[in-house]
Amino acid sequence: MIGTGIKRGTAELAILSVLEEGPLHGYEMARRIEEQTKGALRFTLAALYPMLYRMEQRGWIRGAWETSQSGRRKRCYRLTPAGKKKLSPLRKEWAELFGALKRLTKVAHA
Amino acid sequence: MPDWREIVSKGLSGLKLGAAEKEEVRAELAEHLEETYEALLREGMSESAAIRRTLSLAEDWNDLRRKIHWARKGKETMTDRIKQLWLPGILAFALSTGMLVLIQTYGPKLWVASWRGVLPLGKLYIPWLLLLPFVGAMGAYLSHRAGGSRRLMLSSAVFPVLPFLASILLVPVNLMFGDFIGQNVGLMSLVMALLGWVLVPGAALLAGALPVLFFFSRQKDPQQIAF
Repeated sequence: MIGTGIKRGTAELAILSVLEEGPLHGYEMARRIEEQTKGALRFTLAALYPMLYRMEQRGWIRGAWETSQSGRRKRCYRLTPAGKKKLSPLRKEWAELFGALKRLTKVAHA
Repeated sequence: MPDWREIVSKGLSGLKLGAAEKEEVRAELAEHLEETYEALLREGMSESAAIRRTLSLAEDWNDLRRKIHWARKGKETMTDRIKQLWLPGILAFALSTGMLVLIQTYGPKLWVASWRGVLPLGKLYIPWLLLLPFVGAMGAYLSHRAGGSRRLMLSSAVFPVLPFLASILLVPVNLMFGDFIGQNVGLMSLVMALLGWVLVPGAALLAGALPVLFFFSRQKDPQQIAF
């Protein structure tokens, strides 16, 4: 069954997927998502940070302040075991959605 | 270079969070804008274009403020509060009241505690009191399972005595303003009621809750504290 909230679901999947590769801070996360989706997904502050805070409250990610080599303090987020567990069904849901849309458009063109 | 921290502070003014939490949010967002701006300059963009492009990440500050507030304090917190306090508390209250009714109906008579056998101190249902630590432990555990803090765990545990406390506290008010002047409710009766229905049962509930609190606070991962 495909869940509701496509927009939010896309953002959650994107964030969990980039964090699977390793811990990242907000700016780097947004940059990588934009880069990897060739600019198709661009996060504003209003889309990214409330989403990160919500995901942190749910226990999917964990944020902690770290000091970079240049001496700048950044809040780095990492995936928690609960987040890793969430990623796989989320991917399945999206694969189902795209599969269904693909089938639908093929039928429509037939 | 623009003062991004100042810009964020201005944009988020009125955000209803605690001072420390607000400062963390401001610092994080300012850092994001600063990095974006610097990256655009490195790409060869002019300063004014880089500022415009960076600011486009936060074009609607009201929306951003509202969403951050909801994410950190709003709807989720309401749901959490229900799961962490009201549900465990009401369940503990229902269980303790159900047990009290059963004991009052089928159990032994209530025991009157007294000082040196002369001064009555309180009326106690001993079997009920012996079961209350389990109710307290259950309330604290359910609150912990829902992610409740130590304060919420303790509040959920002692929740069953709160209605008794409220009704006892209302007696003097009723005596002052109500039609109960003719009734013989003395100070000693109030003290007895407080002891028998609030203090002793509250202590019994806490006796069950404290080991749960101690056990789970020892298990807590110190790295879970994000800020």
